[in-house]
Amino acid sequence: MAALADEKKPQQGEARPVIIDVGDGAAIPSKKDAGLFTAWRVAFFGAIAIIVYLAVFRPDPYLDIIKFVPDGILVTFEVTVLSILLALVIGLFTGLGRISKNPLINGIASLYVEVIRGIPLLVQLFYLYFALGRIVHMPPLLSAVLAMGICYGAYMGEIFRAGIQSIPKGQTEAARSLGMSHSQSMYHVILPQAFRTVLPPVGNEFVALLKDSSLVSILAVADLLRRGREFAAESFTYFETYTVVALVYLIITLFLSKLISIMEERISAE
Amino acid sequence: MQNDPRRKMVEMKGVVKFFGALKALDDVSLDVYDGEKVVIIGPSGSGKSTLLRSVNQLEEINAGTIIVDGCEISDPKTNINKVREEVGMVFQQFNVFPHKTVLENITLAQKVVRKRSKSDAERIAKDLLTKVGILEKAGEYPTRLSGGQQQRVAIARALAMQPKLMLFDEPTSALDPEMIGEVLDVMVKLAKEGMTMIVVTHEMGFAREVSDRIIFMDEGKILEEGSPEHFFKNPAHERTKQFMRQIL
Repeated sequence: MAALADEKKPQQGEARPVIIDVGDGAAIPSKKDAGLFTAWRVAFFGAIAIIVYLAVFRPDPYLDIIKFVPDGILVTFEVTVLSILLALVIGLFTGLGRISKNPLINGIASLYVEVIRGIPLLVQLFYLYFALGRIVHMPPLLSAVLAMGICYGAYMGEIFRAGIQSIPKGQTEAARSLGMSHSQSMYHVILPQAFRTVLPPVGNEFVALLKDSSLVSILAVADLLRRGREFAAESFTYFETYTVVALVYLIITLFLSKLISIMEERISAE
Repeated sequence: MQNDPRRKMVEMKGVVKFFGALKALDDVSLDVYDGEKVVIIGPSGSGKSTLLRSVNQLEEINAGTIIVDGCEISDPKTNINKVREEVGMVFQQFNVFPHKTVLENITLAQKVVRKRSKSDAERIAKDLLTKVGILEKAGEYPTRLSGGQQQRVAIARALAMQPKLMLFDEPTSALDPEMIGEVLDVMVKLAKEGMTMIVVTHEMGFAREVSDRIIFMDEGKILEEGSPEHFFKNPAHERTKQFMRQIL
């Protein structure tokens, strides 16, 4: 998951700390970085080439696998999109809560972020589905979306907080000095600007969430990985099936990462 | 504009403001009358911007009282948003809204705060853009404008609220020299129309032309005040003399 939250601004007079910025998504190629660009091309087109090659020259079992798994992709996207929408809503309120001057609201938002970020997502999924499932029974897809949305909401909250705080203080001052209330200036002036700045990191979260959505396969949600497991268990073609599953994930995430980098370029060009 | 020169627009008494251990305002008292143009000068760090910003509570004061247009703004029962509707503010860094067009910059608060219809707000905005001389930029985004043009948008934006008082916080300090004139021209025009103005600036030509009174601040205190003639001819304090020599 992208760690946008914990960047520390160097204070005046303090030695500037070295910040090692390691994203955890696919390395997003930038035009300046020819090496990475090539790596992206090799990985993306290589993966497609391998899949096509296997389907054409080793139709048994690869063609059967390729026919079996696609409805898993739809479920993976369904889980990802629903979770990210939930995470965006939770994240917006968490971000606003984290910058609130009200100690209660601020405390709740901060506690949420600390607790959720301190528990592995897999444990959260187990907790929601199996532990809480004994009290309130929920269908697997709902638990999956809830768990992923709540988990990513905490990370999204930190992105929104950073996005809001990146807007110069003068913007708030100008809005407030025109007589706008705190919430009016937030809604009309700060958030519309913050949304643009958080778009790329939100896109990265989307890709990270898509990868993490493979975890929901443990909850009997028929996503890409789960479909692969089912096929492999029936046909005993573990190597072949998981090769295809890995390649499909790789193609999807590389494609999305590329889209985000294009979006990022467009935004910074404006 | 009808002014009542006996009415106090701003009344500050014993105002104290700390930034941490630094005393930015040290027992400052100042009255500004309806229609009056007051220019505040002083070295950087003397508290002149803090004084100005405390008038519309962008800085909350630690002691003293500030009464703006009859409302005591340090009173927690006062709705500060209502007071700010009547007090326009122009910033050194313009602070125009980059995600809105020039026209939208000027109509936003009219619609949201003054609850004017879109057509009324746009009519007022276009009148003001004509007044500040950039009507042709109405549809542009501010990033495509020069600094001087952005500052004129910011002035029009503040004027659209039809304020009773305008505060200017070093409005030309961030501008390239060739753009200072176009902004000062707008301010002079405004002053001649009778607007009550408090202006923090180093533009002594402007101070001499329009101000009724000049305030000299140093180390959080008002050290000297008087007419422009007084300041240009024979300032009383040694510190004032030294400052006037430096900026003239």
